[in-house]
Amino acid sequence: MTESAIPDIPTRLRDGLRGGLQTSLKLVKWVVPLYLVVDLLKHTPVLERMGALFAPLMGLFGLPGEAAFAFVAAFLLNLYAAIAILVPLELTPWQVTQCGLMMGLAHNLVVEGGVLGSTGARGGLLTLYRVLIAGACGLAMAGLHRLFAS
Amino acid sequence: MTALFFESLWGACLLGVKLTAIVVPLVVAFELLRYLPFFRRVGEGIDPLMRGMGLSRNAAVPLFTGIFLGIAYGAGIIIRVAREKNLSRREVFLVGLFLATCHAVIEDTLIFVVIGGDLWIMLGVRLLVAVVLTALLARLWRPEPAAG
Repeated sequence: MTESAIPDIPTRLRDGLRGGLQTSLKLVKWVVPLYLVVDLLKHTPVLERMGALFAPLMGLFGLPGEAAFAFVAAFLLNLYAAIAILVPLELTPWQVTQCGLMMGLAHNLVVEGGVLGSTGARGGLLTLYRVLIAGACGLAMAGLHRLFAS
Repeated sequence: MTALFFESLWGACLLGVKLTAIVVPLVVAFELLRYLPFFRRVGEGIDPLMRGMGLSRNAAVPLFTGIFLGIAYGAGIIIRVAREKNLSRREVFLVGLFLATCHAVIEDTLIFVVIGGDLWIMLGVRLLVAVVLTALLARLWRPEPAAG
């Protein structure tokens, strides 16, 4: 492995600032509109009714039904979108951790599946694996939580 | 109704600012610290763990790039390294499996920490799952005897 030159401190500071602001911009672009929509929908029965549909499934993971929307956003879009939906739901810290773990394992599946496939590894197989492992970890975490929290 | 709208908009902007205030200093700190010799030593210390996962030294650069910077950067480097260093299909898949489980861990984890998640559980479980499953697959999928 060839060593590339180490940039000086001002360059690193500039790179860091630029990188950080780019990430933040990406974040804000998703977070602000989605948070706004979900927070406004909270005043209508829409979220609650649709959340009730998913309550049995999400209940397996110790999460409220409404969290299903965040999972859809995490799977198809990205974690920023998922966060924007989660925050107005006012979850407990444990539930946020649970979502962070499960969504950390499985998110942005369409784009990242393509990226993984481009390396020559089996993208579809890896994507299926991500969803399954997220479910398995979620069930295990919920089981442990029930065991120790009650 | 307008009051509700502005209340929501305020909440949305507040969350945006909070996330920015966390992400920017962190990325700056990462850029400043990443060249420290300390990290190279960690890299060497982790060698046995890499071997346990069926990965050679060649896989270290794509692996670490993916863990810290994300799958898109990681994949770009995997493609290049695979071609230059002749990584086997097995090794490419093992790196892929690891990174599918565990990538961009700093950013992904921190945005959930900002909204109240537990850093060590989210990071620890993901790393552990990635290491254990990659090592398991490496044992199940034995390398083909090197030709020549």
